[in-house]
Amino acid sequence: MTATHTPSTVPRPSPPTGVRRRRALIALALVIGGAWSLTGLDITLARVLGAPADVWDIFKQLWPPAMDEALDRGVVGKVFESVYIAWIGTIIGAILSLPLAFLAATNVAPRWIRIPVRQLFNAIRAVPELIVAVIFIPITGLGPWAGTLAIGLHSVGTLGKWATEAIEGVDTGPLEAIEATGGRWVSGMRWGILPQIMPIVASFWLFRFEINVRASAVLGMIGAGGVGAELVSQLMFRNFPAVGAVLGITVLVVLTIDTMSATVRRRIIAGAARTSGPDLDADRNAEALADLTGFRR
Amino acid sequence: MSEGGIARPVRPRPRLRTLGITAGLLAFTVFAAREVKFAISTFWEVWKNPLWEKFWPVPWDWVLDRSNVIDPFVETFQIAILATIIGCGLALPISFAMSRLTTPNRPTYLVTRSVMNVVRAVPDLFWAKLLVTAVGIGAFAGTWALSVFSLAVMVKLFSETIDNADPRPLEAARATGSRHLPAIRIGVLPTVLPEYVAYALYVFELNIRASIVLGLVGAGGIGRVLEAQRQFFRFDRVLGMLIIVFVVVFVIEQVSVAIRKRLV
Repeated sequence: MTATHTPSTVPRPSPPTGVRRRRALIALALVIGGAWSLTGLDITLARVLGAPADVWDIFKQLWPPAMDEALDRGVVGKVFESVYIAWIGTIIGAILSLPLAFLAATNVAPRWIRIPVRQLFNAIRAVPELIVAVIFIPITGLGPWAGTLAIGLHSVGTLGKWATEAIEGVDTGPLEAIEATGGRWVSGMRWGILPQIMPIVASFWLFRFEINVRASAVLGMIGAGGVGAELVSQLMFRNFPAVGAVLGITVLVVLTIDTMSATVRRRIIAGAARTSGPDLDADRNAEALADLTGFRR
Repeated sequence: MSEGGIARPVRPRPRLRTLGITAGLLAFTVFAAREVKFAISTFWEVWKNPLWEKFWPVPWDWVLDRSNVIDPFVETFQIAILATIIGCGLALPISFAMSRLTTPNRPTYLVTRSVMNVVRAVPDLFWAKLLVTAVGIGAFAGTWALSVFSLAVMVKLFSETIDNADPRPLEAARATGSRHLPAIRIGVLPTVLPEYVAYALYVFELNIRASIVLGLVGAGGIGRVLEAQRQFFRFDRVLGMLIIVFVVVFVIEQVSVAIRKRLV
């Protein structure tokens, strides 16, 4: 009993030495990396101290936005062009990626086809949309079609990877049932797997659409259609109230689409979860996040 | 079974609303396709374009020359490293302010959350272009832009992690009479730190990719060279650069994925 009444006799345990050494190493790496970058980028203290004022000078001119001028110039139409590019691009990506995903999944595809398809997904994901657009613009000419193709092709990488993981997570019961009745491989995919993965895959498509709206807004900056070109030209003329209007309309549309898409995604997933208990929504969200970031909890 | 087996169940008829939504989406798709000048023929005609010849052969002498590609590429890395350090560093306190579990008070929570949502809604290259206009062409503007953007992405990912953290250690710390910050430091930080590091690596990957294209809008790095050569129609050089970029990004991603797997 006396032991409980004598506090602070037990020394506080110190963290294991391995942890300390690792922390020190990480800190050292960060300092060295940061210092190396600072010297290489010609960033001087004067510029760092002067920059906030410069940035503020510009930012305060963005307000109030010149909405009338922007509407006259058809900025809303340009923003919607970005949305169309994202929509068609997502559809192209979805159509190309879904069959490929079946060829990449461990549980349904043989090894010889799986490895190349997976590497294709990885390779596509490594090239940014803008770079794809840089290649496409000379071929298809300036305009929204180049941007659409770039977004479509780039989407194949992520959509394919996510769909593959969805296929690998299915319940194999229906597939075995179809095999037992003598069904062909394609029938197994169509009736055994597709109905199981469709809700989650559709929500991935919508999620990718949200990302693509942002990407297609950027694509306009290099002439691939959409609102980006408008932003660049207004910035070039230093017409900051108009820039404010372009930014405002873009942000409004992007946020609206995000909200709508998130609502639909939640309904799609909740519909799929009706039979499997209430926790599934959170699980699927975690799943989507894991797919997005490439690791699992 | 005497009636000749169980009758196949009748397929449910689609509801009117479902048909309406489908028709609406189809109409939207057709309209959008016309707006973007959709042309399915591109998929086979694109290969006949004579411009492809300008992509070949890759001038490796030029591409592997130090001052042409290697130095700007190093600059790209430096932008990405610095932006990751600044963005993720600032994200640590802001994420705690932005999470329901650890926010000091409700106004802070609402303000940080809405500001960060707006920042994230502006695409990264828009930030870059704005900052290029503000502080001049070059890597400095790019570093700024990427820092802002990685901050916005990082706080989104990390504050959600904090939301889902186990609240019990925090409650225990508070029950001992601890003030707000020490309670978070002891009760929450240790449980979310591995994910913080994993997300930071992920943001670094994003930044590498983003910093490659920053130069297309004048914000420094390899994109600057890419844009210049594109305007000279030197697509062979562009292709050479892209191959290098591709290989490096690919290797970094694989390394980063491997590290993240070990972390979490």
